[in-house]
Amino acid sequence: MGEIRAAFAIARKEIRAFSRYRIAVASTVFTPLYQFIIPAFLFGAAFAVNGRAAGLAATVGTDDLPGFIFFGGLIGGLIGMAFWGVAFSIRMEMDTGTLEATWLTPTHHETVVIGRALGSLFWFAISQVALFAFGIWVLGLRLRLEMLLALPAVLCAILAMVGIAYLLAGIVLLIREANFFVDTANFLFGMLSGTAFPVTLLPGVLQPIAFALPTTYAIDILRVQALGARPLFDPALEYVALVGLTLVSYPIGRWVFGRAEETMRRRGMLAQY
Amino acid sequence: MSLLAADLRAFFAAGLKEVRQQRRYPTLFLGQLFWPMLLPAFWVLMGRAYSGNDPQALAAFAERAGSSNVAIFVFVGYAMYNWLSALLWGAGTALRQEQLRGTLEAVFVTPASRLVPLFGPGVGMLLPMAVIFASNFLALRFFFGIFPPIGAVIQAAVIVVLGIPALYAIGALFAASVLRFGEVAPVVQLIRGMFVLACGITFPVAMLPLWAQVWAKILPPTYIVDDIRRILLRGDTIADVAGDVAIVLSLAVVTGILAVAVFRYLEMSARRTGMLGQF
Repeated sequence: MGEIRAAFAIARKEIRAFSRYRIAVASTVFTPLYQFIIPAFLFGAAFAVNGRAAGLAATVGTDDLPGFIFFGGLIGGLIGMAFWGVAFSIRMEMDTGTLEATWLTPTHHETVVIGRALGSLFWFAISQVALFAFGIWVLGLRLRLEMLLALPAVLCAILAMVGIAYLLAGIVLLIREANFFVDTANFLFGMLSGTAFPVTLLPGVLQPIAFALPTTYAIDILRVQALGARPLFDPALEYVALVGLTLVSYPIGRWVFGRAEETMRRRGMLAQY
Repeated sequence: MSLLAADLRAFFAAGLKEVRQQRRYPTLFLGQLFWPMLLPAFWVLMGRAYSGNDPQALAAFAERAGSSNVAIFVFVGYAMYNWLSALLWGAGTALRQEQLRGTLEAVFVTPASRLVPLFGPGVGMLLPMAVIFASNFLALRFFFGIFPPIGAVIQAAVIVVLGIPALYAIGALFAASVLRFGEVAPVVQLIRGMFVLACGITFPVAMLPLWAQVWAKILPPTYIVDDIRRILLRGDTIADVAGDVAIVLSLAVVTGILAVAVFRYLEMSARRTGMLGQF
């Protein structure tokens, strides 16, 4: 019970601290809009024939361009949450010199990661509501009731990303140039998951990596349910793969985080970066 | 030594200082290899998803973009994106960095012209810019097996060189303006976003609403990107784009004058209020 309280307290602190930076809060909506959503929409619309995305329909089985972009972006945002909101924010605490104080509290260190994940989920939800509102209002995004059927897949992806956040937090604590690592790894993870295009278009050598990521299946299931897109595999099999990978990613993440923490304690690295 | 010669020495010293600092952070160069290679490559794959290799979809794209060669179209756009990124994060935040480190006051008490700290750091951006363009061309060659005709590449390089003063001036104007802001990173994102959306970086400018197309016409990167695409994709020559080049050079002069004016105003204001070290 104490750990749950601590997790929510950490989440509250994260939400409060971030809300002090108004421009940074606005950029959680503005940055995905200008970096991905609007350019991707206009790029895709440049291929439209008589107002219909016939090329996209040939590739993925749906001509719903805004839907394809937004549902990919939804899981992309979730990936960004694990990389920046959890892993990198621990590094930020290291930079500001408050990690030692946090580490000395009686709260489990794993709870710190969970608390940050909860705080990031809050901002993720806010930004996604704003982005989807923009999509519906400006880009003609249509939501179907069937998309709710993909909720279990999204929840699974959230759990899997918490596991991956543990793994990343472990790595970030040990390396010195965390910014470049987080930035590039976040981008590659998103692209290899198929946030922007189907993974079948990736070069053959990268496809096995894509199929080892839980988010690949979450995106595909979401697009199948919400847009009626053609699935990569049988959706039942995709669910099995998603649940399996989620179950694996959590303990692996916890183990890596534990090892990283142990290494830091042995080498006295907590204040070094 | 005349005053002008002394200022020129100070100008190149400021550029050299930037290059030295970059050398101390080798991972910055890793980024200059990674992003110009992979970012456009993934957008080319997006183009493949959107086209579905459908001849009609590709014809529709060619009608709007001037060519059906999506790879070169995207890579040229992203060369500009990376150039702008390097510019805004580098020369564009140079004055701000001096402010953060507490060295801006020290720079201001030197006898060098105020134009030196404003324009000097831009020299240091020439090397990263060259690395970015080289990475772009290498990725185009090795990932997609495309290399435009050498004559066209040389002419495109001339357009890039002629575009440097304009981009340089944008960097200086940004550097002077952000001295007033508490948080610079979101401002960089905002300004870069404006360029990305208006200048045809990843999609044809023809896709924008009319008012945005008019806005795009006062931004030098729009002309530079379009001219490079015309030369590489449609076989145009420098003579064909001479009008655009004249506009870009004129905009460079206007932007440069504006940068000096903004910088002078902020400096005067800082002297009166004593806010140079506050941010």
